[in-house]
Amino acid sequence: MSKNEEVIIIGGGVIGCAAAYYLAKQGVSVLVLEERMIGHGGSSRNGGGVRQSARDIRELPIAMYGIKNLWPTLSEELGVDVEYHQDGNLRLAKTEKHIDILQNLVDNSRKSGLEVTMISGGQARELCPYMSEEVIAASWCPTDGHANPMLTTLAYYRKARMMGVHFITGEKVVKLKKAKGRIRKVLTQSGNVYEADTVILAAGFPSRAIANTVGIDIPMFKELNECLVTEMQPPMFWQMLGTAEADFYGHQTKHGSFVFGGSSGMEYYYRNQADFAHETSITPASVCRGIMKYFPALSGAKIIRNWAGWIDVCADRVPVIGRVEEVPGLILACGFSGHGFGIAPAVGQILMEIVLEKPVCVDISPLKYNRFHAKA
Amino acid sequence: MSRLLDRNREIGAFVPQQDDDLIICRCEEITKGEIRRAVHEGMWTLTEVKRFLRAGMGLCQGQTCGRLVKGIVAKELGVRPSELEDTTARCPTRPVEMQVFGNEVHGHE
Amino acid sequence: MKQAEEAGVEVHLNSVVMGIFDLGEITVQHGDGVCHYKGDSILIATGACENMVPFDGWTLPGVMGAGAAQTMMNLHGVQPGSRVLMVGSGNVGLVVSFQLLQAGVEVAAVIDAAPQIGGYGVHAAKLARIGVPFYLSHTIVKAEGTDHVTGAVIAQVDESFRPIAGTEKHLDVDTVCIAVGLSPMSQLARMAGCEMTEKGGAVPVVDEYGQTSIPGLFVAGDVGGIEEASSAMIGGRIAGAAAARRSGYLPEEEFREKASALKASLGQLHEGMFSPKNKGRRDLTVTDEGYHLSKTLLHHGYLSEEEVAGFPGAAPGKSAGIHPVIECTQNIPCNPCQDACRFGCIRVGDHMTALPAVAENARCVGCGMCVASCPGQAIFLVNDEEEAGTATVTLPYEFLPVPEKGTKGVALGRDGSVVCPAEVVEAKTAGFMDGTVLLTMRVPSEMSMKARFFKTGEGTK
Repeated sequence: MSKNEEVIIIGGGVIGCAAAYYLAKQGVSVLVLEERMIGHGGSSRNGGGVRQSARDIRELPIAMYGIKNLWPTLSEELGVDVEYHQDGNLRLAKTEKHIDILQNLVDNSRKSGLEVTMISGGQARELCPYMSEEVIAASWCPTDGHANPMLTTLAYYRKARMMGVHFITGEKVVKLKKAKGRIRKVLTQSGNVYEADTVILAAGFPSRAIANTVGIDIPMFKELNECLVTEMQPPMFWQMLGTAEADFYGHQTKHGSFVFGGSSGMEYYYRNQADFAHETSITPASVCRGIMKYFPALSGAKIIRNWAGWIDVCADRVPVIGRVEEVPGLILACGFSGHGFGIAPAVGQILMEIVLEKPVCVDISPLKYNRFHAKA
Repeated sequence: MSRLLDRNREIGAFVPQQDDDLIICRCEEITKGEIRRAVHEGMWTLTEVKRFLRAGMGLCQGQTCGRLVKGIVAKELGVRPSELEDTTARCPTRPVEMQVFGNEVHGHE
Repeated sequence: MKQAEEAGVEVHLNSVVMGIFDLGEITVQHGDGVCHYKGDSILIATGACENMVPFDGWTLPGVMGAGAAQTMMNLHGVQPGSRVLMVGSGNVGLVVSFQLLQAGVEVAAVIDAAPQIGGYGVHAAKLARIGVPFYLSHTIVKAEGTDHVTGAVIAQVDESFRPIAGTEKHLDVDTVCIAVGLSPMSQLARMAGCEMTEKGGAVPVVDEYGQTSIPGLFVAGDVGGIEEASSAMIGGRIAGAAAARRSGYLPEEEFREKASALKASLGQLHEGMFSPKNKGRRDLTVTDEGYHLSKTLLHHGYLSEEEVAGFPGAAPGKSAGIHPVIECTQNIPCNPCQDACRFGCIRVGDHMTALPAVAENARCVGCGMCVASCPGQAIFLVNDEEEAGTATVTLPYEFLPVPEKGTKGVALGRDGSVVCPAEVVEAKTAGFMDGTVLLTMRVPSEMSMKARFFKTGEGTK
């Protein structure tokens, strides 16, 4: 079916496609195996945030690297407009408690060198005049932004394919096999067997079951993420929005539509855990009410779609990236916990650097797969 | 379950046609040529075409263009339209104002 | 709807079901709010939406679906335009074309890329006798205009349905109606996660009672596969009975009896020339009874006089005295004419797709009930007034204004051409005729089997 490529990437999402692209750029032959279709998982089901602010300090350097070096020229490099806007991120506070949360996040981020500050409600409204009086303060990170996750993923895929990366979709990986102490075989549900000395596992939540087949576990659970999309509106503002309690986020897209996400609070208890993520009957309405409190001007905007997706939430809310000692040749990149999109280009480059044993642009040791321990 | 698609399969080169500037997705003003070109750039499922071009993402959510896009993509790939997986149907079935959507009234059992 | 409300059903109009969720839950937009409902059983009967065919200029104002034109006229009382090109000759295209004429809109032509008319011959005949031309093996290549339709260009197509250069014809129209088929509006079924299959669009896989792969979720009507109104209603009754059984309101025995009877009626509708199993067939040459199918009817929308005489509805050898002439020559599931005549003059038989026949010993009294009852407007009363050298022809008339007794005009033949002068003898109607007028015109006796429509004045087109 396919000549033996040097690297097999399991997962055709933005992480897998970005890694494939950066590897192809270095002349490495790559095969990407995707269970459904390109970008069908979290890559097409996120809020499009490209941010540094409010990130865990273990992944903050990756985010800063990507925004500084990769995002600004990505559209040009890939030949597709990925709609990257660097117009800042406003994380909103309605209560004193929120302000405390934000202050804490701001202080932590500043330690890592990120330019982010607390601003007043009035200052926030100067930046975004549509915001209601409910907002009493906000954190403001001017170098944050947003992009189009579907286009970014497909742009990486398109370019990688043009450069010779072999993609096979509709191929569900069910098992990994070692040979002579190293990773060797990738087996699929259709009965095909692929072989390589290097395998990158970037398949979102399903990565766990796949890793289990070679004795490795990644402590994750899956959580429903729901968003709603409005019809196009005249251009109103370009900042990426979030809240102190991370219960609501969104932005206006180049198209003019607004994409907003939020939670119902019941996510841990949802009955339906099937592969297909179904929107619920309660969350979108709740998100609407939240949006209208912050942006009354959008009350008349028509919702044309809800969608949902699964977030692969890692135990400590940051991803697992890096080589697996027990399985030489296996590299993990999963558990992005709902904030993988913004760091995807940087992670793609990092994965390439790991494969080629080059110096990694950012220290990823805090994200190693075997960091999980019982409390002392 | 998706059909296995080897994206290296040869589907032939993109050949410009006379009606390439015919609008197919009226809501988002996507032309036949854009759809055909997207297939040749690797978009082999209706969902990938939709995400790449916005065809089917407008107000009518593909009700008008869906069948047409399916036919065009199938032709470019050399398959029957019925072999292509439909895009996902989602709530709401018709556009609803935010203030209406968020106004939950007690219903009946 | 009235029956349902009388039975205690809570009916909410202007209520859009926005989504369907786990465990039998739906959200519904009522006015300015959203309600949640839960059902032990849910029946999706959302029907179908119109297909489109793109062509140069199809986004101009004035290009619309035939169904949209029908809604505009029947619901909103608005004329969609003043002169229409109808693209598509299935029943939707034929029926809407007639309704356009009734609304005072001109129909320049009905075209179809297929080599024969897709809908019932009787519906086509209603248009042909008014002079509407049919262009088969033709497609629209362009709608002209800059900010609205000002004309259309059609062209003949080859076997691969590609336009043949040099065959272009220009039509003066300001409206183009598209009637190229329907697709099931199955979004809710897909949203619910039903196992789907392909049947003219995505439809749920169902059991014999319309239940999908999700227990308690049913479909009925076009959303389960495009057919027509009668089968939709029966399908709805079957699903309703199954839902009642599911909730314990209908005992098993009673349910099976009911379902059986309903399925038998449904079976009747699935017979005949236009049955689902014959869809798209172009090779039929005879009716079930062995009569030759009229080619001019299939290609031009009208029968020839000789063809009419050969069918059992034409009452051959009955030129003396008033008698019905039934110009129904294809096997379609329809039989109101049989029950309309109290004197047993018309017989269809147990199979409603059988061709209607006028009984040998028919004692026709000329009441006109059959004329009024035929949904295809295919029945005429002919009375030879031998001594006077004239004959009267009674036809179903569904236009306004209704010509008054004594009005002079012309009679049109089946192909819409003027055949002779004519004078209105009578124009009568009754409540149960649902608006249809029985128009009787006097024509020269040799025209009695030719004259099939009346036009006031000179009848110039």
